[in-house]
Amino acid sequence: MSEMSREDLLDVVRRVWEERDPVPEQLVDRMQAAAALAASDVDLELELMELVERSTELAGARGATAYTLRFVYGETDLLLRIAVEGDVSRVDGWIVPPQPMTVHAVRTSPTGREDAVVSDVGDSGRFVLADLPLGQLQLKLEPRDRARTAIATPAFEI
Amino acid sequence: MGVREPAGRAVGSEGVAPPGAAVRPQRVDDPWAQAAECFARWSDGDPGALDDLVRLMTPVLWHVVRAYRLPADAAEDVVQASWLALVRRRDAIRDPAAVGGWLTTTARREAWRVHASLDRATPVEEQDLAPRLPRQTSAETEVVAHEQRRVLWDAVDALPPRCQRLLRVVAFTNRPDYAQLASDLGMPVGSIGPTRGRCLAKLRVALIEAGAC
Repeated sequence: MSEMSREDLLDVVRRVWEERDPVPEQLVDRMQAAAALAASDVDLELELMELVERSTELAGARGATAYTLRFVYGETDLLLRIAVEGDVSRVDGWIVPPQPMTVHAVRTSPTGREDAVVSDVGDSGRFVLADLPLGQLQLKLEPRDRARTAIATPAFEI
Repeated sequence: MGVREPAGRAVGSEGVAPPGAAVRPQRVDDPWAQAAECFARWSDGDPGALDDLVRLMTPVLWHVVRAYRLPADAAEDVVQASWLALVRRRDAIRDPAAVGGWLTTTARREAWRVHASLDRATPVEEQDLAPRLPRQTSAETEVVAHEQRRVLWDAVDALPPRCQRLLRVVAFTNRPDYAQLASDLGMPVGSIGPTRGRCLAKLRVALIEAGAC
């Protein structure tokens, strides 16, 4: 019986976890898309918000689900409640502190991006994006004051 | 630019390496050296190199983050946040050889933050980590392979949770930052090395008892 070295043991640990908790399918693809998108945002001088919270609400009747995401950039806080019913979704957003902005929901895919829905942010800081298709999405927030930088969320999956 | 130091784990820095502990041989496929090479190419303006870096390091980040028992969607968020942080702060990484350690440290810190903020009352999906053995076939070799795998899984399972987490992080990262790891695990920094030694010893005993080596 040969004594297992530290490296042999760590190899066992690696193998066990690779088998029993494998990297999800498509994870690499999704991360490549997110990283490439972020790199192009940096090139466009868009400031990227950070996802700081995600919560899931209990699934409702008829397969409807809802969850919240919270993004932060500097002093700007963006809370999203995403409700999915069937193959469309609705996003209720709230920007704190409120500022006059236009919100673009951009569909992202490896082949490019297209504007899906546009909405104005009211004085309350609230906005609604209805009838959004499912898939990878990014929100771009453009202040009406052109002197201020546009900020964007990372891509997220609805 | 090459790696600054040999790819093997430096045993001296921990001061607790058992005599004769093997230094990991330089592997041609050392992911850290490959990551450094990808990062250098990306910094030189090759956008495809970012894809290569993501392909190479995403599996490592997944295992590091899941060691904190985050649910799959939260774990994926953490892995993505680590990539976005790299893209945003690429200028902060002066030495390409540091990119692997930078990524895993970033992922571990974020995983710890999310782990700490998750409602403790919400149990982590245990079924998420439940054994998922491939369907058994009748071939005898399959049965033997299945049995051997079972033994390894059981040995890892029998470790205390803290050992499981520590060894998983250490196994997938080239050189974890011990100070940060200690704070993540709520342990004094000086006890990481000895704890790792004890965890490995437990695993060795479990494997010997099971006749796996």
